Amino acid sequence: MGRLGPWLVAIIAFVAVFVDIPKHQFSFPFNCPGVCLKLGDLVVNQEIKTHLGLDLQGGTQLVLRMQTEKLPAGVTTPQSELQTQAIRVIERRINSLGVSEPVIQGLGDDKILLELPGVEDLAAANEIATRQAFLEIKVPDKDKPGTYKSLQPPLTGANLKPTFVTFQNGTRPVINFEFTNGDDARWVQLSKDFYQQPVQITLDGKEISAPTINAIFTDGRGIIEGSFTTQSAKELSLLLNSGALPVPVEVIQSSRVEPTLGQDSVHRSLIAGAIGLLLVAFFMIAYYRLPGVIAVLALLYYTALTYAIFRLVPVTLTLAGVAGFILSIGMAVDANVLTFERLKEELRSGKSLRSILYSNLATILTAGILFWFGTGTVKGFALTLGIGVAMSFFTAVIVTQMLLHGAIEIASLRQRRLYGVEERAPETRETRAAPVPS
Amino acid sequence: MLHVVERKTLYFALSGLLIVPGLIFLLLGGLKPGIEFKGGTLLDVRFADPPAVSDVHDVMVGLGRSEAIVQAAEGGRVEIRTFEMKPDDVVAAQKALTDKYGANLKDVSSSVVSPSFSGELIQNAVRSITLASFLIVFLIAFAFRNFGWAAFRYGIAAIIALLHDAAVVLGLFAVLGFFFNVEIDSLFVTAVLTIIGFSVHDTIVVFDRIRENLRLNPGEALNPVINFSIMQTLARSVITSLTVVLTLLALFLFGGFSMRNFALALLVGIVSGTYSSIFNASQIVSLWQEVEDRVRHRATAAS
Repeated sequence: MGRLGPWLVAIIAFVAVFVDIPKHQFSFPFNCPGVCLKLGDLVVNQEIKTHLGLDLQGGTQLVLRMQTEKLPAGVTTPQSELQTQAIRVIERRINSLGVSEPVIQGLGDDKILLELPGVEDLAAANEIATRQAFLEIKVPDKDKPGTYKSLQPPLTGANLKPTFVTFQNGTRPVINFEFTNGDDARWVQLSKDFYQQPVQITLDGKEISAPTINAIFTDGRGIIEGSFTTQSAKELSLLLNSGALPVPVEVIQSSRVEPTLGQDSVHRSLIAGAIGLLLVAFFMIAYYRLPGVIAVLALLYYTALTYAIFRLVPVTLTLAGVAGFILSIGMAVDANVLTFERLKEELRSGKSLRSILYSNLATILTAGILFWFGTGTVKGFALTLGIGVAMSFFTAVIVTQMLLHGAIEIASLRQRRLYGVEERAPETRETRAAPVPS
Repeated sequence: MLHVVERKTLYFALSGLLIVPGLIFLLLGGLKPGIEFKGGTLLDVRFADPPAVSDVHDVMVGLGRSEAIVQAAEGGRVEIRTFEMKPDDVVAAQKALTDKYGANLKDVSSSVVSPSFSGELIQNAVRSITLASFLIVFLIAFAFRNFGWAAFRYGIAAIIALLHDAAVVLGLFAVLGFFFNVEIDSLFVTAVLTIIGFSVHDTIVVFDRIRENLRLNPGEALNPVINFSIMQTLARSVITSLTVVLTLLALFLFGGFSMRNFALALLVGIVSGTYSSIFNASQIVSLWQEVEDRVRHRATAAS
C-alpha cells in the first residue's frame, strides 16, 4: 500500500459518494443523464440510478398470447407443454438480457404473463419476448428454380451449440454457429449435396442470407452473414442461444403495474433498518470507544461504496435485496470486530487477517455458485451478497486498518482508555501460549 | 472458564431436541408453499375510480383469503392473486366486491395462473448449495492442510453445523405452517440462503483460531485447545450476532407485515448459527478425535 494507499481510499470514497448522489450530470462533451463520455470511438452512455424491483417500484406488465392457430398442421404437442416450453425460453431470454427479478407465469392455458421492473426498454423487451427465433436452413428447390425448400426433416436451430458474434475484417459482425447432436453430420452432408450451390438461412421464415457453398465442410460449424449492426447481431445470437419459441406469440396487453408492496410497508422497513443500524453504531461506540467510532466511519464508507456499486452494475434491489444489504452491513461489523479483537496482537506482531480471508472466501464462493447456477430471485440475491461481502472485506482490511493506524499516530489519541483496553483483560501471548486445561 | 467441549453430549442433545420435532413436522408436510410456488387464480378487476389496494385486500381477507396479493395497474385495473378459486369462490368474491364498491366496479374476470417461482429454481438452489458445501469442505481442509487427513474433519463439521442451522429454520416454519398455516415465499428462500452463508462464516472464525492455537501449542491435547479457542472468539461471535440481531429485531417489530416472517426466519437462523458455531461445530471435531482415539486404543489393546 505504502503512501499511495490513503489517496486511493480517498479517491474511491469520492467517486462512490459522487455516484450515490441521486441526480447529477457528468457529461462530456454532450448533455445526458448520468455518465456520458465520447472520446473518439469510446462512447459511454450510462444512466446512473437505483434500480428497484417490481415489489418496490412496480414495472411493466405484458400479456402474451400463444398464436396456436399459426402452428403448422401436424404439430401435436399439447398446449400446456407448449406454454411451459415458451415460459422457459422467455425466462432464459429475459435473464440473459440482464433484467433481474422478472415475474413470468402462465395465465390461463394459452397466455403468458410477463412482468419486468422498470419501463425503459419496453420496445426491446417486447421484441425479445415475441421474436420466435426459428432458424432454418433451406436448400435450392430443383422443381422451382430460384426458390428454396425445407429438408426432410427440416434442419433447424434446435441442435445448436451456443452461438457467438465475431467481426469479419474487423468491422462486419457475423454470427458463428455450430450444429451438434447429429445435425453436424447433416450439415456436412448438405455441403456435399449442394456443393457450389446457394443455401438459404432463414429466421422466422425470412431470408437473412443465402451464401454459396464453396467448400466441403468438415464439422458442424458455420457463420451467418447479414446486414447486422453489432447490436442486432448480439441480440440475434442471444435469441438463438435461448432457443426458439415453440409457438409464435403476440402481445395482447401491455400496462404499467404498481408495486406489490405498499409504500407503508416499504417505509416502515426502511425506518426499522435505520433504527437497527443506529443501535449498532451506538453499541459499537459504547463497547469499543475510539475504535468503535472508527468502525462506524468504516461502515459509512462501506455503505456508500456498496450502494454506488449497486447503482453502477446495476443491481435490481427488491425488499429482500435491501434487507440483504442491511444484513451485509452486519457482516461488515463482524469483519471490523475481528480486526479490533486482533488489533493488539496485530500491532505487535504484524499478524495477517487470515480468518477474515477464509470466512469471506467461503461466503463469496457460495454467492458465486448461486449466481452461476441460480435464476431469478436467487441470482439477484447472490449478486447482492457477493458484492456486499467483497466490499466488507475491502473496508475491514484496508480502510479500517488505515483509519486505526492513522488514529494511533495522533498522539492525543494514544491513551489506552480510548481503546477500552483496561476494562477487559488483554489477550497476552502467555495466556495464548499455555491454554489451561480444565 | 466455561467448559463447552466436555459437555458436548448436553449440547448435542439440546440441538436434537430443537431439530427432531421440526423434522417430524417437515415430514408431515408442515412447510406450506405460498402463491409464488403454487400458482392459483388471478382476478382482474376493473374500477371506474380504483380504491386503495389495502381496501381491496381487506375485502379478500373478509372472504378468508388472507393470502391475496393485491396490485394496482394502469387504467383503473386492480389485480388480485390468490390460491386456486373454484367457480363458486369467484362468484362469491365478485359479489363481495360489488357489495362494497357498487357502480364503481366495472368488471371482474378470472384466470388460472401458474407458479411464478418454479420448482426448477429451488432445485437449482439446492444443487448449488450442495456444490458450494463440497467446495467449502475443501477450502477449510486447505486452510488446515498441515493436519493431514484430519483437515477434512473441520470442513465436514462446518457443513454439519450448516445443516443444523438450516434444519432449525425449516423445522420452525414447518411447525408454524402446520399449526398456524404460515406460508413460505421467495423471501424465505433468500433467508435460508443468508443463514447458510452466515453459519459457515461464524464457524470458520472459530476453526481458524483453533488452527492457530494448535500451531502455537504443539503437543497440547485437542479438547483444551478447542475450549480455549472458543472462549477467545466468544466475544466476537456474540457481538457480531448481537449487532445483526438488533437490526433484525427492529425489522421484526417495526418492519412492514410482509417483512415479519422474513425477519423471524433470519433471527432464528442467525441465533442458531452462533449457537452451532460455539456449541456444536468444534465439538463434532472433538468427538471425531475421541472416537478415533478409542478405536485406535482398542486396536492396540487387541494386538
